[in-house]
Amino acid sequence: MLMKLRKKGAEADIYEFKWQNSKAILKIRKIKNYRNASLDLKIRKQRTIKESQILSQVKSFGIPTPLVYFVNLKKALIVMQEIPGKPVHDLPELKIVELSKEIGKLVGMLHKNGIMHGDLTTSNFIFFQNTVFVIDFGLSQNTIKPEDHAVDLRLIKEILNSAHAKIMESTWKNFLNGYKSIVGNANYVKITKLVSEIESRGRYAAVI
Amino acid sequence: MLGLGIESTAHTFSCAIIEKKGKKGKILSDVRKIYRPADGEGIHPREASRHHIENSSSVLFECLKEANITIKDLNLISYAAGPGLGPCLRVGAVVARSLASFYKIPIYPVNHAIGHIELGKLLTGATNPLVLLVSGGHTMLLAFLNKQWRVFGETLDITLGQLLDQFGRSIGFASPCGKNIEELASLSSNYVTLPYSVKGNDVSFSGLLSATKSIAKKSKIDACYSLQETAFAMISEVVERALSFTGKKELLIVGGVAANKRLSDMLQDVCKRHGSKFFAIPIQYAGDCGSQICWTGLLESEVKQGALLKDTLVIQSWRLDSVKVDY
Repeated sequence: MLMKLRKKGAEADIYEFKWQNSKAILKIRKIKNYRNASLDLKIRKQRTIKESQILSQVKSFGIPTPLVYFVNLKKALIVMQEIPGKPVHDLPELKIVELSKEIGKLVGMLHKNGIMHGDLTTSNFIFFQNTVFVIDFGLSQNTIKPEDHAVDLRLIKEILNSAHAKIMESTWKNFLNGYKSIVGNANYVKITKLVSEIESRGRYAAVI
Repeated sequence: MLGLGIESTAHTFSCAIIEKKGKKGKILSDVRKIYRPADGEGIHPREASRHHIENSSSVLFECLKEANITIKDLNLISYAAGPGLGPCLRVGAVVARSLASFYKIPIYPVNHAIGHIELGKLLTGATNPLVLLVSGGHTMLLAFLNKQWRVFGETLDITLGQLLDQFGRSIGFASPCGKNIEELASLSSNYVTLPYSVKGNDVSFSGLLSATKSIAKKSKIDACYSLQETAFAMISEVVERALSFTGKKELLIVGGVAANKRLSDMLQDVCKRHGSKFFAIPIQYAGDCGSQICWTGLLESEVKQGALLKDTLVIQSWRLDSVKVDY
């Protein structure tokens, strides 16, 4: 079957696909020749399993994600529902500022239910029909460790700081407000303190 | 414009002269003396600074001689003000201040990490790259946006250079150990599973270091091979992530670990996959050198006056993403 390449991502290629007459996308983690073969196989398999499991698991507590239609572990591929919206990364700055509260809430819901996303960038949230969908769970983990949740927050902060530098302050503030409204004040204080701790461990970080 | 650059952040004391014409720079000389600790040991800051003091005048003299100029011909002097080891940094700063105040030459404190990037751009011709800075002091992915270098990913604990050096020393090599590890690794193709820790765009190497030390008891060559394969695959993955996220069409690799052949082979493959051009700083200038400091000082002189003597301090912890770049 001839498939159209939609996006060459960092670790997987995304193709347009048909699944029982509805539009779908096929995500395949292809062999990377630069990687040692046994390491490569392990990474591709593990992430395919994690991603397909967690995409479905998080639906049970209300996180909008694409439906998983089919998984082939041998080929490290997942067929899933197409969300025909736009990545938050590509939206106008004002819209990103507005949506960051909702994104904070979604991340709060994940954490509250013991899931760390592992790759929180603005490209991994898709805005479609007034709803923010979460995708790309390949690096996710089932974990209730506050340190892991803090790693998630630090990553999105780093992305806001680098890719969205002009609107960093307002987006980060909105994100934290949304996050706090879900996890509660005590957890919020604990996690954000850990974020500062991780940052202070960084190379040449200002020692406060 | 003729500039003198002085580098002394860690194990290297180096002086270099560059002639700048418009946007072009020509390295007239770059002389280095490198402090070598005993096998199995790391840098001792006091011993390293003593080494720098003892060698500073001969390195400076040789560098002027090679460039065939005298101090009076210089338009400016720049020195690495940080980040680095305090006692070592102070040696370079003292030499720079003495020359600048005696001969009345403008002086520029320069960020060492920015120096790696700027020299890389000068020598490779990359214009708008995603930069991978991998050395003993840094492991960072950077892109330039809005007058500052922004961090897209970095290590959460030790650097790639430290990982290789600390492991290398534990099996008896002297720092820097990258080359020895690469040689041993080429003798094996037996991959032993090691912890692979990519957190979004960031990496963490500390668990990998401990695990590699323990498998080295069985086989040093397998350990070297597996260490390189795991660490470099982690770096390659975050590079892929950042290339895909930023859409940059150039990758520039700078810093001491840029000299590693296996790493640059892997990154070349990554670039091919993403249709990006691969640039690596020439090996001779990958490690710490006076040229990186000199060239950055020359660039800064386009938009800034020299610093007042009272502001020519050293800053041990000076993150490059806090530096405003106006040139």
